[in-house]
Amino acid sequence: MPFVRFIGFSVVRAWQGFWRNAMMSLAATATVILMLVLLAALFIVISGLNAGLEFIESKVAVTARLEDNLTEQRVERLIAEVEAMPGVATVEYVSPEEAMDRLEASYREIGRELDLGDPDSPITLFASLEITLSDPDASADVSTALSQHGAVERVLTKQAEYDTLLGIIDVIRTVGIVGIGLVGLTVLFMIINTIRIAVYSRANEIEIMRLVGASDSFIRWPFILEGILCGLIGAVITIFLVAAVWDPIQPAMVQVFQMPTAVSTRFLTTLSLLLLAVGLGVGAIGAWISVRSYLAAAR
Amino acid sequence: MTSLLRRRTRSEPTDAPVISMADVGMTYPNGKVALADVNVSIPSGDFVFLVGPSGAGKSTFIRLLIREQLPTHGHVRVAGRDLLRMRRGQVPGLRRRIGIVFQDFRLLPNKTVAENVAFALDVTGVSGATTRRRVPKLLSLVGLQDHAHHLPTQLSGGEQQRTAIARALVHDPAILIADEPTGNLDPVTSWEIIQLLIQINQLGTTVLMATHNQEVVNAMRRRVLALEGGHLVRDEAAAAYEREY
Repeated sequence: MPFVRFIGFSVVRAWQGFWRNAMMSLAATATVILMLVLLAALFIVISGLNAGLEFIESKVAVTARLEDNLTEQRVERLIAEVEAMPGVATVEYVSPEEAMDRLEASYREIGRELDLGDPDSPITLFASLEITLSDPDASADVSTALSQHGAVERVLTKQAEYDTLLGIIDVIRTVGIVGIGLVGLTVLFMIINTIRIAVYSRANEIEIMRLVGASDSFIRWPFILEGILCGLIGAVITIFLVAAVWDPIQPAMVQVFQMPTAVSTRFLTTLSLLLLAVGLGVGAIGAWISVRSYLAAAR
Repeated sequence: MTSLLRRRTRSEPTDAPVISMADVGMTYPNGKVALADVNVSIPSGDFVFLVGPSGAGKSTFIRLLIREQLPTHGHVRVAGRDLLRMRRGQVPGLRRRIGIVFQDFRLLPNKTVAENVAFALDVTGVSGATTRRRVPKLLSLVGLQDHAHHLPTQLSGGEQQRTAIARALVHDPAILIADEPTGNLDPVTSWEIIQLLIQINQLGTTVLMATHNQEVVNAMRRRVLALEGGHLVRDEAAAAYEREY
């Protein structure tokens, strides 16, 4: 029962304190929202890019452009050879006609028409083998083997795209983490300041509490809960904001990054939990720092 | 009234000291000597005046008793506890054994009389049922039962000090320290407060009262501790004020 009384006392005092110092509390909550929105944006973008990365891994990993005029038997033999290679999942033959159809389709998708020049001297594309891998690490071995094969004109891999995307993710992640770190520090100082003002505005109360024998917990926890309240309100508002813009974000991501970025259905739950944990954590740490320094000075 | 202070119903001092200071010295970091070689023993149930000019060390004396400060040297024991060996977590327990009132009352202006008294119980984890039972009795003890729902701003100085005394008694303390409790009051009201302190002392609570009020000290003829320049220059039973500070 004493613990329940302590919790009840602390929660009621925290709630009263939040509204007594409403302007500062709301300003601190607004900075929490700003930080969490940035965090959510970073998390969404990184997760989207990671999904894109997985998509690249799962799709064509190696393309072998074939020499001209190969006989059907030779192509079939080559397909059988490639299928037998370790780490290879599927092998698909793409004829020159099929390659041309794909090229025209991709032009139509972006609203342009493929100009093939003089119709009397038609352009022919290379036939190719599109190879997917069950083991992405087999890419180098498969490429080397194919490039030494007489029927293969050139080998193209997705390694360069993969590396480029990894580079982009690294940059976004670094810039994002630095940005969130800076905003996080600002939020921390805002909460430290808010709670410090609350502490100083209630200095008389604290003095009386100490003189009548209130323990440090009874003095400290209402303020820590007040900081947590700023974080909690900030996190809940941010979660609602993210949920509201969630549907428009998906097609926008595909448009911006030119790749499918769909993420798992549990993503929103994970993101919500992350926002809640960070909001509560920053609120609690800021308030704890503020109260600790005050109580240490006033023994 | 006896149900509130039921553990100490005697009015005569006993031999067991409730406050003892041995060779206590207190020097501030700036070199100012606040107390020097103070030796005092106050038995349980005593009523003691602490007198001295401003800067004599009265406030430091009180701060050492409630462990707001620790002495530079010497030993301080209060209500059976060695204050130097006490851990920080044990300080709240000590302070519940000491009630303290000040010249400026230190009431919370946005709380009523009853809420001011109840606050001291709420912040120490006392149950609501106990608080509801105890607060009216305390207000009755100090004669404020009809003012329970008044704000401090609606009270006279004497009534505010009575509220502060009721708050100081919430934990049934062994010692009541009154730091210039009549400093802001007119003579008639001062005497009412003194009468209340005597009443509390007669119920067994040790009272230590720091004061400049010569008239009160001379009329009471109780034990007087006089500090000057941090030194205890006089410790006499049934004494007079003697000099103007």
